[in-house]
Amino acid sequence: MKKCDVICPFCGCLCDDLEITVEDNRILGVDNGCTLANAKFMGKERLTSPIRRTDGGWEDINYDEAIRYTVDMLLDADRPLLYGWSGTHGEAQCIGVHMCELVGGIIDSTTSVCHGPSILAIQEVGHPGCTLGQVKNRADVVIYWGCNPLEAHPRHMSRYTTYADGYFLDNAFRDRTVVVVDVRETETARVADEFVRIKQGGDYAVLSALRAIVRGKGDMIPPSVAGVPRSQLERIVRMCKDAKFGAVFFGLGLTMTKGKYKNIRNAIELVDELSRHTKFTITPMRGHWNVYGSNEVFTWMTGYPYAIDFCRGIAFYNPGETSAIDILARKECDACMIIGSDPGAHFPRKCVEHLADIPTVVIDPVPTMTTAMANVQIPVAVSGIDAEGTAYRMDGVPFRVKKVIEPTLPSDTEVLGDMFARMKEAKGL
Amino acid sequence: MATSLSYYLREMARGEWLRNFLFVKTAPYETPPHFRDYPRLTGKECTHCLACMMICPTPGAIEVLKEDEGWNPVIYPGHCIRCGLCVEACPEGVLMSGRILESQFFENTGYTWTFHLTVDSTLCMRCGNCSVACPVNKEEDPQLAATGTGENDEVIMRVKGGELRILHEEKCTGCKTCEEACPNSAIRVARVIEAIHTAEEGG
Ligand code: SF4
Ligand code: SF4
Ligand code: SF4
Ligand code: SF4
Repeated sequence: MKKCDVICPFCGCLCDDLEITVEDNRILGVDNGCTLANAKFMGKERLTSPIRRTDGGWEDINYDEAIRYTVDMLLDADRPLLYGWSGTHGEAQCIGVHMCELVGGIIDSTTSVCHGPSILAIQEVGHPGCTLGQVKNRADVVIYWGCNPLEAHPRHMSRYTTYADGYFLDNAFRDRTVVVVDVRETETARVADEFVRIKQGGDYAVLSALRAIVRGKGDMIPPSVAGVPRSQLERIVRMCKDAKFGAVFFGLGLTMTKGKYKNIRNAIELVDELSRHTKFTITPMRGHWNVYGSNEVFTWMTGYPYAIDFCRGIAFYNPGETSAIDILARKECDACMIIGSDPGAHFPRKCVEHLADIPTVVIDPVPTMTTAMANVQIPVAVSGIDAEGTAYRMDGVPFRVKKVIEPTLPSDTEVLGDMFARMKEAKGL
Repeated sequence: MATSLSYYLREMARGEWLRNFLFVKTAPYETPPHFRDYPRLTGKECTHCLACMMICPTPGAIEVLKEDEGWNPVIYPGHCIRCGLCVEACPEGVLMSGRILESQFFENTGYTWTFHLTVDSTLCMRCGNCSVACPVNKEEDPQLAATGTGENDEVIMRVKGGELRILHEEKCTGCKTCEEACPNSAIRVARVIEAIHTAEEGG
């Protein structure tokens, strides 16, 4: 049986056009999806029951034991951290916030290690953004800055920005100009019309130079800025000003390099400047599936998008102090629940070591690098494969994600819901 | 070493050898009628079918450029190896060189070509750039071209069952747009050319 219009559960593109062939509750094939989507749907290594660490090994336990362990761990802890949330749907994130408030813990999503700086910049200067549909139908200049969509969001170019014909562009990529700005020649740079190679850490200077040229102050720019010749910068500004509609996309190459959130602020202000001449927008390339949703959910519920600390009884937000990496690096937290993310693979060594020292529960369908630090892992149904819920695309469009096969395991919402109910009971609420 | 050196000296010091070497007589230089020079234009109208560019074995030797109103092939002598394939491949007789056009006419020879597509599935990300960009796919499935969502199997290739599947290789026109759009050099277009000889009289 073919299931149509299935939403991909992997990256922030949330491609909603996959066709999945299902036979006897098993997935046999994926049409239209990229390699990452295919690997996600066809993945075989799922755990079938919760596991607990024993001396030198693992033992299977049942859900009741696993949930009891987690509840006790969180209730006993002084400063529990609830981290991850990008791989799960909005409903589960909601329960997470309630749980966190109840135990007076810290809740943080993977945002703090990817686009946290983008959010700080947006809080300062706003976000001139648009949906991907606008980009597809209108943009004739597309700039990818510090990101490599072909690796992290493989269908971004073919579906939303470059190759797909748009309402106002029937010659798609012949009518569009793609500019890639990066420190190395990425796969995306190979198919771009113009590649700007920047010296490591030079983004802020180049953005400022571009702003100066847009403002007509190009003569004060030195002949080369962070390795980029002035003539190339001038050409790019001309291209942008001549565009009918321009779209900037940026990734970790801009948020996580020297300058951090100031880079993004500068990029947003460049877009602002360009919008005085034509239409320009800017969108962060949110990587991990529903990471954008975690910011939305946390914001509705607490007022803040990530790194929220409830130890005072009210929501407190101070990234750099209350973000997961800092809490772990200072060895502040004494218990951790990780859901829908793999910090074991991305966090600095110091943080990972602390995770291994404290009681840690991982809620994840498959064994990951973080499993190595966990005391208990609880497998769940995968949102978008055998669990349903709401997820946000990188441009902030929410989708209702359906399931394509019947679950054999509980979903994140069910597991967290059960935990939350028991917590309330324990607290006499 | 010493023996071969003395052998050479003895051999080359002979008067006959020196005479033959220095005062050799060859026929005066004259371009034979079958000599193939760089292709020239015949003045016939180029239809921009790009058959000449398709068949040329040498990168950068020929290009069809727009001149005022029409198109015309331009040969770059530094690159051209004077193989004459473009002259033979052009269906309109726009190019000429040596006796190629005559012999083609009298002997009824010509070429047919098809294109063979290969995908290296270890390099391919299934990003869909190629299948969305391909101009033939665009005709066959406008939905694919507009949204990246494959709707039918009439296209040359599309992402299906987790692979980039080649479905209708025979429809490929060899434009290589797919190669240009592929970030990983995973798709390759190869032309398969056959020399043919038809039995009928030329005319
Ligand atoms: S681009 Fe992203 S959302 Fe789309 S199919 Fe690939 S992994 Fe899934
Ligand atoms: S003669 Fe041969 S090498 Fe020269 S342009 Fe024609 S096909 Fe190319
Ligand atoms: S060479 Fe051109 S026609 Fe052939 S598959 Fe590639 S893009 Fe399509
Ligand atoms: S463009 Fe290249 S990597 Fe992308 S689907 Fe086509 S062959 Fe594969």
